[in-house]
Amino acid sequence: MQKQRAYIILILALVAAAIAILTTIPPQLGLDLRGGAQLTIQVNPTKERPDVKPTSEDVEAVQRVLENRINEFGVSETTVQTIGEDKILIQLPGESQPEEAERRLKGTAKLEFKEQKQGSEGDFIAESQVNRQLKAQRIFYSQQESNPENQAKLAEINESLVKSNKAVAELFESVGLTGTNLTDARPQPDATGNRWEVAINFDDAGGKKFAELTKNLAGTGRSIGIFLDDDLISSPVVGPEFADTGIAGGRAVITGNFDLEGAKDLGIQIKGGSLPFPVAVVENRTVGATLGQDSIRRSIIAASVGLVLVLIFMVAYYRLPGLIADGALIVYALLTMACYALVGVTLTLPGIAGFILSIGMAVDANVLIFERTREELRGGKTLYRSVESGFFRAFSSILDSNVTTAIACVALLWLGSGLVKGFAVTLLIGVVVSMFTAVTCSRTLMLLVVLSLPKVRQKPELFCPNLNVGERSPISSNQ
Amino acid sequence: MKLSITSKRNLWWAISGTAIVASIAMMVFSFVSLNAPIRPGIDFIGGTRIQIARDCTVAGNCDEAIDTAQVREVLDSQGLGNSSIQLLGDNQQILSVRTENLDGDRRGQLLSSLGTAIGKFDDKTVQIDSVGPTIGEELFVSGILALLVAFFGIIVYLSIRFQFDYALFAIAALFHDVVITAGVFSLLGLVIGLEADSLFLVSLLTIIGFSVNDTVVIYDRIRENITANPEGEINEIVDNAVNQTLGRSINTTLTTLLPLIGIFLFGGQTLKFFALALIVGFILGAYSSIFIASTLLAWWRNRKSNNSVAVSAPPASE
Repeated sequence: MQKQRAYIILILALVAAAIAILTTIPPQLGLDLRGGAQLTIQVNPTKERPDVKPTSEDVEAVQRVLENRINEFGVSETTVQTIGEDKILIQLPGESQPEEAERRLKGTAKLEFKEQKQGSEGDFIAESQVNRQLKAQRIFYSQQESNPENQAKLAEINESLVKSNKAVAELFESVGLTGTNLTDARPQPDATGNRWEVAINFDDAGGKKFAELTKNLAGTGRSIGIFLDDDLISSPVVGPEFADTGIAGGRAVITGNFDLEGAKDLGIQIKGGSLPFPVAVVENRTVGATLGQDSIRRSIIAASVGLVLVLIFMVAYYRLPGLIADGALIVYALLTMACYALVGVTLTLPGIAGFILSIGMAVDANVLIFERTREELRGGKTLYRSVESGFFRAFSSILDSNVTTAIACVALLWLGSGLVKGFAVTLLIGVVVSMFTAVTCSRTLMLLVVLSLPKVRQKPELFCPNLNVGERSPISSNQ
Repeated sequence: MKLSITSKRNLWWAISGTAIVASIAMMVFSFVSLNAPIRPGIDFIGGTRIQIARDCTVAGNCDEAIDTAQVREVLDSQGLGNSSIQLLGDNQQILSVRTENLDGDRRGQLLSSLGTAIGKFDDKTVQIDSVGPTIGEELFVSGILALLVAFFGIIVYLSIRFQFDYALFAIAALFHDVVITAGVFSLLGLVIGLEADSLFLVSLLTIIGFSVNDTVVIYDRIRENITANPEGEINEIVDNAVNQTLGRSINTTLTTLLPLIGIFLFGGQTLKFFALALIVGFILGAYSSIFIASTLLAWWRNRKSNNSVAVSAPPASE
């Protein structure tokens, strides 16, 4: 009894924790349920060097450019991540017409070094400050929850930003120095060793143009505008010491208050613009918002109908133990969903199917135990002993059957792609939790009922209908 | 009541053998006519599928069913003559078009021309799946690889927990379930044009997990009975084990089928045939565990023990 009490307390604590988790962490829904577009983008080798595969740094640089472009879409809660060696996965929640997005993502980034116009110093300070503020705001609202209010705010910011970018761009003029002239851009520690700077290298033609550009700007206080897709990413000024020759030799450093991260960011941004790896949208899965909601509604109906039928069946067939198993199943469902929330499982349609199937596994463990308990009862054991040995003897079957299912899940997780993984994760978590609830929860509840209710102990037929005295002979009927 | 499984093993083997041969024949036929054992969806061969529904809030928009001839005209005019068209939903207001792989620009063009031809459609009900050919191949290869890894992992685990012959016959039963399920879907592909997507591969893997589950429970009981009664006749032991676990086999299959039938009836388009594959596979899994895996093991052990008796017990010792 002491042990059972401890278990009950543990189970109650877990259930309470599960409910707390479920109420604080909202479930993450995949795009197939909430609606949106998911694009898989492949980074291809350049035409000039088709046999050189993009390195992980190149892919990171491309990812960085794509991130910037996506921020311009003004869609909230977007995600951009690298998958595999050369692919980038982009999720645009709520987007049901991804054609425009695809077009804009696929265009290669255009990097250009421009010269600030004479007499624009005052305007530039004002405009660039507005520009920076708007960008900061956009990042802030992109990370907020996606609701109509934030969406409207984002749209407003984007509109102002387009105007602001245009205003800033008008203060600069083109000198024909673009990303194709750039050969490298990478962070390096500066002379003091405390700060970081970004070293940039140009090819011959670029070096000459850059020398000309810096000569014109040196000491004037006007800056070089580094534009990526017509968006000003950096505006360094040139010191007066270069007024005679400009910065010659095709090499330069951009200094500033950079830490390593800042220098790395700028380097990647510059390089991303200069290395136009062709990208292709190799996969596109788009689900309209209404369709997603419809899927959720249908899945919930399907899951609840299935679950209710299972609960009814268990009580009808297994009587009192069935009722106990139903309790254990509800605990199971709560714990499993809490695990999904904790692990951060994104629920997709196949994921929900995996969950529903795992309920089947959880029931199976109970069925195995009850069938065994009945056999022990028919074999003439007392109720308490039958329950105990039913659990004990069913355990090896439960273990083996769950491990084999887990093996299939791990194979899917390891080798499968997005949708498949979603299914495998929910099923695997389900299998593990179902093992736990079957051996702790069902067992404890059963023993508690048997031990604490003497009336139940005198009525083994609650556990096994049609149990007659003849069958309760000391000799087992099965062997 | 006690079922004698082993005595009628030839009957079970004949039934399963016929089903397997029929399934393989179906897949060969499908391979000849479609160039693939099961009609492949865009997930595996690449392509674009667009599903759009008319916006019924616009007056008069949904009065008549979508005219496929109009849709065909639009497709032809954009050089997409060999695309397939399907109408879905009540009153056939949902259009599903499958074409070669289209990029964003061509897709946008197609969508806007379709909009002018068949009436305004609702953005929020659109569904687009576009898969490049290389991705399709990757999905297929990784799926098949996962299948093989799962087979291998299960063999290793069962060999450790039981013995190698158990593992082998469990896999034979799995193979039986997977082949016949594939055969059924091959038939559906030929008859109603059903396409296998990545969820079909997932369903095959799930069938493996569940079917081996059923087999393991029976084998577990056989092993236990052999330990309890090492001198027992193997056919008798297997029959007992099957009967002792029969209640569990039926109940578990039933309780697993109930939610699946729920998904099949009420689940969306995507999950419907996923659920059907699982329903077919799980029923087969229960059948093969009870009738095939058990009788194969009994037959094998019988053969082995007959051989060993002949060697170790010469007539002189009687």
